[in-house]
Amino acid sequence: MKDSAIVICRCEEVTLEELTNTAKEYKCSARELKLRTRAGMGYCGGRTCRFAIDAILMEATGNQTPDQIPLKYQPPVRPVSFQTLGGGCHE
Amino acid sequence: MNNRRILHHPVLGTMPERNAVHFTFDGKKYKGFEGETIAAALLASGVRTLRVHEEKETPRGIYCNIGHCFECRVTVNGQPGVRSCLTEINDGMVIESGKRQPTPLKRKEIARHV
Amino acid sequence: MYDAVIIGAGPAGLSAAIACAKWNLQVVVIDEFMKPGGRLLGQLHQEPDGTWWNGIKEANILVEQARALGVDIWCGVSVHHIEEVGQGWRVHTNKERIDTPKLLLATGAAETPAPVPGWTLPGVMSIGAAQVMTNVHRVRPGKKGIVIGINVLSAAITRELQLAGGDVVGMVLPPVNPITKDAGNPRKVMQSLLRISHLAPSAFLRMGGKLSRANWMQKLALTFYPKSGVKMWGIPIHLRKAAVQINGEKEVESVTICSVTPDGKRIEGSEQTMDVDFVCIAGGLYPLAELAAVAGCPFHYFPELGGHVPVHNERMKTPLEGLYVAGNITGIESAKVARAQGFVAGLSIAKETIQSADSAIDKHLENALDEVRKIRSNAAIQFHQDIHAGRNKMESIYKEQFS
Repeated sequence: MKDSAIVICRCEEVTLEELTNTAKEYKCSARELKLRTRAGMGYCGGRTCRFAIDAILMEATGNQTPDQIPLKYQPPVRPVSFQTLGGGCHE
Repeated sequence: MNNRRILHHPVLGTMPERNAVHFTFDGKKYKGFEGETIAAALLASGVRTLRVHEEKETPRGIYCNIGHCFECRVTVNGQPGVRSCLTEINDGMVIESGKRQPTPLKRKEIARHV
Repeated sequence: MYDAVIIGAGPAGLSAAIACAKWNLQVVVIDEFMKPGGRLLGQLHQEPDGTWWNGIKEANILVEQARALGVDIWCGVSVHHIEEVGQGWRVHTNKERIDTPKLLLATGAAETPAPVPGWTLPGVMSIGAAQVMTNVHRVRPGKKGIVIGINVLSAAITRELQLAGGDVVGMVLPPVNPITKDAGNPRKVMQSLLRISHLAPSAFLRMGGKLSRANWMQKLALTFYPKSGVKMWGIPIHLRKAAVQINGEKEVESVTICSVTPDGKRIEGSEQTMDVDFVCIAGGLYPLAELAAVAGCPFHYFPELGGHVPVHNERMKTPLEGLYVAGNITGIESAKVARAQGFVAGLSIAKETIQSADSAIDKHLENALDEVRKIRSNAAIQFHQDIHAGRNKMESIYKEQFS
């Protein structure tokens, strides 16, 4: 089974191969891995793949899972329209 | 009535009668029931593909079914990005699947248009 | 103005609301789903004494009790941000903004994936998705399916699919990759299944539960594992087979599986294809704590609780003033534990809101804490080993660093 056949981040269609290679090449942090590959940056905010990304990072870099969440959560944690963020109608 | 609905359940019992609602998905007419989600009504009608990936065009359906993954998002009455797994179906709803989007800033895309 | 806002209308959130309302607090419970009850709604299993745990009924009891006490429940409302403002918290939703002195996060858990080639095809869904479709919406996930990922949760839900008349051809392991190192290892999976062997109506597994405590015994059991799998409620469980590919042009058409060694290594040439039109992916659960993270709450990583957990004490308080947590956000356990934790959180909030010298509430709080411990100890199913150790560790971290 090829790692290029396994999609990890469904939103951005980033594969296991891409993530493993990037993590090994750059000895990345979770944030850097996200910025380099776009994994975890899609519509769901990484809710589906963040665990997988953490696991791939640990495997590639040999580091232990830290106590603080590796891939930072940013508000809004659900996609919202600019209208909602603006607090009402601004037509 | 098709076999996709579980009308009788050995422990949960028989489903109570519900009012039918009519809606369209990509222009085709479908029937669902009041109080159910768009995703459930479509699956009960045999529809599994709700959108394609905006860039790669690969097909997608429900994945988590509880609003976490956003894979089931559709356009409802003109509003895009609506999670079909959390949204109740209403009579007369016009639902559109998610389509491929142009990505003009990607090199391949530019080559395609030159 | 609400005395407290509760995010999540599952067993933890609802029972917290009930506890608050009993002490005359005005509370609102917010949930994204169209019905209150959270994931309790999908649950349906037989207790060791033979009675049925019907999640819909259990949820209705909580909802009716809450409503009778004047609790507001908003369904179909999503919270996308929370922030500390002045003496309390500001909750941003897709409908309106609410300020509150006390905020409880009872957002439950999310599923971890077990990625398999082809898992983005329509027809592939998480095991929880199939549970909700079947038991809540009463729609079949498909005609014939397979479950990838063998664990306590997926075994229970597969049984539910079968109960509703669903055709499940079996349960297999995910392929081994960095994400599924343990979930794809027959030996580790067997060890985790032994924790539910007392519930299994299968002589093989019950015997396994007694005999396989020793490592060499487990290896022997796996070496002679039947080719057709061991049946649990008539569903073949294949500890020596793994899914390697989900096939289909536009939707799921079949799954390719292969045999694996007792250590999970793929045996070349053993591939076979099974026709299915749905696939359930079961990777397990992790605490869904994104709102605690954006609030700036400190975290700690506990594999025994299912992942990163916001730091909190036994009374469900976080180190941030006015912010509380309860239920699966604090670690993966049963709905009964979540419900009991919610009650503790509600009493904690009430105690600090009314700040009375009345010792009655302290007595209630002590009883509620005892109840959590009792339910945890008596749990028929434990999702993670060493749950007690994890809870104790969290308590001492809170005491040492934050009180």
